Amino acid sequence: MSFLQIVEGPLFWVAAAVFVLGALWRVGGLIAMKRRRDIAPPTGSAAAGFIRGNLRHFLPRAAFARRTWIHLVGGYGFHLGLFVLLLFAAPHVAFLDKRILGFSWPALPRWAFILVAEIAFAGLIILWVRRISEPVMRLISDADDHVGSWLTFLVMLSGCFALQQSHDALRATHMFLVDIWLLYFPFSRLMHAFTFVLSRGHTGATYGRRGITP
Amino acid sequence: MSDQQTAGQRPDEAQDDRQDGAAAAVGKFLEFTDGAVASYFESCVHCGECAEACHFYLSTGDPRYTPTYKLLPMVKAYRRARAPLRTVRDMFGLLPDDPTLDELREWGPLVYDSCTMCGRCTLVCPMGIDIAGTIARMREGYVAAGLAPEGLVHATEMVRRTTSPMGVTAKALRAQVEHQEKETGIPISLDEKGAEYMAILSSMEIMGYPEVIGAYARLFKAADISWTISTKAYEATNIGVQIGSGALAREIVQRVVDAAEELGVRHVISPECGHAYGALRWAGPNLIGRRYDFEVVHIIELIDRLRREGRLPIGNRDARRITLHDPCQIVRRGGLLKEPRRLLDAAASDFVEMDNAGIANLCCGGGGGVSANPRAAELQSRAFSCKLDQLNAIEGLQAVVVPCANCRSVFEDALDEREIDNFEIIGLGELVASTLDQDKAAQG
Amino acid sequence: MSLRWFFILLVIPGLLTLTPLRATAQSAGGTVATGVSERGKQTLEDILARQKAALRGLKLAPGTAAAPAGAPAGPDTGPLGPRGNQSLSDIWNRWRGGDPLNLLKPYSADQVMTTSGEQWRLLRVEYIRRYAGWFPLGALVLLVAFWMYRGRIRIRAGRAGRKIARFTITQRVAHWFTAGVFILLALTGLLILLGRPLILPWLGHDAHSVLISAAMQAHNLFGPLFIAALIWLFIKFLPGNLFHPVDLGWILRLGGLFGGHVSAGRFNFGEKAWFWLLIIVGAVLSITGLAMEFPWLFADLRWLQLSTVLHAIGAIVLISVALGHIYIGSIGMEGAIDSMLEGEVDENWAREHHDLWYQEVTSTTGKEKEEASA
Ligand code: HEM
Ligand code: SF4
Ligand code: SF4
Repeated sequence: MSFLQIVEGPLFWVAAAVFVLGALWRVGGLIAMKRRRDIAPPTGSAAAGFIRGNLRHFLPRAAFARRTWIHLVGGYGFHLGLFVLLLFAAPHVAFLDKRILGFSWPALPRWAFILVAEIAFAGLIILWVRRISEPVMRLISDADDHVGSWLTFLVMLSGCFALQQSHDALRATHMFLVDIWLLYFPFSRLMHAFTFVLSRGHTGATYGRRGITP
Repeated sequence: MSDQQTAGQRPDEAQDDRQDGAAAAVGKFLEFTDGAVASYFESCVHCGECAEACHFYLSTGDPRYTPTYKLLPMVKAYRRARAPLRTVRDMFGLLPDDPTLDELREWGPLVYDSCTMCGRCTLVCPMGIDIAGTIARMREGYVAAGLAPEGLVHATEMVRRTTSPMGVTAKALRAQVEHQEKETGIPISLDEKGAEYMAILSSMEIMGYPEVIGAYARLFKAADISWTISTKAYEATNIGVQIGSGALAREIVQRVVDAAEELGVRHVISPECGHAYGALRWAGPNLIGRRYDFEVVHIIELIDRLRREGRLPIGNRDARRITLHDPCQIVRRGGLLKEPRRLLDAAASDFVEMDNAGIANLCCGGGGGVSANPRAAELQSRAFSCKLDQLNAIEGLQAVVVPCANCRSVFEDALDEREIDNFEIIGLGELVASTLDQDKAAQG
Repeated sequence: MSLRWFFILLVIPGLLTLTPLRATAQSAGGTVATGVSERGKQTLEDILARQKAALRGLKLAPGTAAAPAGAPAGPDTGPLGPRGNQSLSDIWNRWRGGDPLNLLKPYSADQVMTTSGEQWRLLRVEYIRRYAGWFPLGALVLLVAFWMYRGRIRIRAGRAGRKIARFTITQRVAHWFTAGVFILLALTGLLILLGRPLILPWLGHDAHSVLISAAMQAHNLFGPLFIAALIWLFIKFLPGNLFHPVDLGWILRLGGLFGGHVSAGRFNFGEKAWFWLLIIVGAVLSITGLAMEFPWLFADLRWLQLSTVLHAIGAIVLISVALGHIYIGSIGMEGAIDSMLEGEVDENWAREHHDLWYQEVTSTTGKEKEEASA
């Protein structure tokens, strides 16, 4: 079995399983911890607040955007770029089709892929350099933050290394890093990709009962 | 504090005590970590946005005042003992140590002095993390470990003795009420059974701004409402929720509930005081474990309701250039956003909003027990500079409506200290009362 | 300077040192000048027509091959080969045109092929690739020597503990964004340029081609980000980077690197020189890089050849100087990196390295304080 076959085959499946089970376990654990009961008579709905809180926090508030625009540009650029690449890059669509799902959808043309990759890279680099050049960020960042950023960066970078699609070694490198990333994910802060629903939701529910959308 | 306690003991005993203190704190941290707090701890991405919302960071530039950083000891305790998948992290030696007593003590100023539990950081946080609510829970651990700041501990002792953090006795209340009766010519009943409304007040109002009582009298007379004040439970402030002692908070709420139910009132009026409203309206039922037999209504809510029912005719509107400060616990965390604005639109002809008005307004810097904590005095004064910038940005400002007695005294002290006297600080109830159309009110 | 002259200057050394080239070029020359006019009507249509006719004859009626009606009759009806009826070397000569030995006419726009390609290749291989690596290495050696001579430049008065704001978060992010992209480009670029002599002999063709393919993709991807970064950096750092008469003193005393006190404003002349070098050479790298990424935008091949040469030289210059910048910005000078990590610098650092700027900021804040208390 070649290295490529291993990282695309057994190792990938192990990593994917750890990713799925780990993420489920962690989110499930949080849900199982429940919420303290609140019996104060509400003026609004907690459930609606859960949803409103989730949606409202997608939009930055004007009062803060003036101070935090770099972070907003970096954050949105990176995250949106990453999702588009993840789901619409031609090799990814093909991989998902052949290996996992058995169906596919239209992929991005190459020029669009490049454009989105530029945006995602710019965003990620901005997010990370902000982390090292601001006293607040230096104080609150820990190893997990840096490892998460760098692993994601390397996964993206190796993906672009393989753009020419003419060397198995590059494809294998990319897949290997993807596997590592999947293994790391559920144990790390990368989990925010799932837990944000809960944290926004809990706050939204608390405030929702008071008729406020935070 | 605890150093003094441990003086004279053998070193190993002192060591035990220290561990007990930290263990007590950790125990409370974990007890108060429910699914909500856990998901906050899990989802914080260390993005630092929250710092940009916190007046303590904004006014000092000190990164330690980053909201999420203030939670660190509790986060550590959680990671170690509660976080899902912690066993896997443990296998790689990645679990943090439990916070030590020294560490907790070092964090004390962050937990008490530099957080007014204003909730502004939640607005900017991409994860919507409720730092304020989590700090409130963290303080429970601090109280359990005996690490609460002395000023607040002192105030709790005062409350235990006199029911009021400023030591306001029933006798003092009676004197102030009598004075206001004379002033307004309206009789004010105390301990009246069967009254519809029972008002509670903050010590600050009773002693510092007794005209509030007169304003109530005029407003309720105009609206033809029967109301009373209990001499058993007149104090609205709840030092328990500020210092983080659930037991004390419950005691204070219980006192009000008992008095209200004894008098058989249908509504209890929460005064122009931020945390008192949160304590009675939102925390109270959870503290005493049941809903009340009466409705808690905030004075602003009530005046607004009466006015919209046409029971408070407004006569000459105040012509000064007036702006409104949004007390955090009433507006952002209380839910009363539109009410004060409707009242000001009706009662003032030149009402202007300040920058960031409404839900994202800045805290005065003295809430959450900070103003009762002398250790935080300097920091509080610096934090007020954010507020002052907002006020200074309004040209020709003549008065600021500050519908919270605590904020109000913070404003007044800070302006005094800076020798600024070109605008006046007023309460909302008084403003509305002073613009009542007396003729129509008399007919109605 | 016209493109032609510039290129000629680059080509001269290649020609003078490469005798093999001269030999082949000479043998290929000679007939070139007269070739076109002598052969006259040998046109494409003519050849195609005859090919067609030949095919028809073959299929329909052998022996009756004749030009179809209306087809121009060529004067030359000799045997038809794959290249019409001319010899291989004739054709090469005509296509190539120009005269590789005549420096004033090494190529010409109406020729199908220019001879400059070979010279360009040799220039790249024999000069740029051969010597490029020595410049960054030399810079490193100089830095080590300077380190041994001067050691870390300390804050003489020690740290004051009080801080002065120097760069905003936007400036810091712009700096590190540029630096990050620059480093990625430098590493991949060096790999592309020097992989053949440095990597190939060690790792062999397969590994080399994998590496180069990867480096190529990454380099192309990060290029556009560098252009954006450069513009951002330019806007954010232009204030304070304009020349000022005090800079003369700095130049005369070599920036105080070898001792002595020099006055400086917000930026000293060394920083200003770095800034402008980066902006100008960076702009050249950007334009030449775009030329290579979008070659079809340039009709004339020579622009592309020029681009590769300028791109390589510019990059080597910037990388070498950047090493110096990184050195002095980090381990070389105590307190310097604070400005880029925290946005603030120690008061004593400011006083020692940017005295004029220090006076400026402290005196205005002093004034404000006075006004506030008055
Ligand atoms: C990776 C290591 C690097 C370090 C440690 C570093 C450090 C620094 C520091 C400390 C400053 C501020 C100096 C001051 O306070 O006046 C600075 C400024 C600057 N850096 Fe860097 N830098 C690095 C890489 C780069 C790179 C690769 C580039 C170019 C692509 C670059 C371009 C600049 C520019 C343009 C300035 C502004 C200074 C001026 O206007 O002259 N830096 N750097
Ligand atoms: S709740 Fe208010 S005071 Fe506390 S950290 Fe958040 S913004 Fe700062
Ligand atoms: S803004 Fe929210 S997610 Fe970001 S560091 Fe603060 S608490 Fe954490």
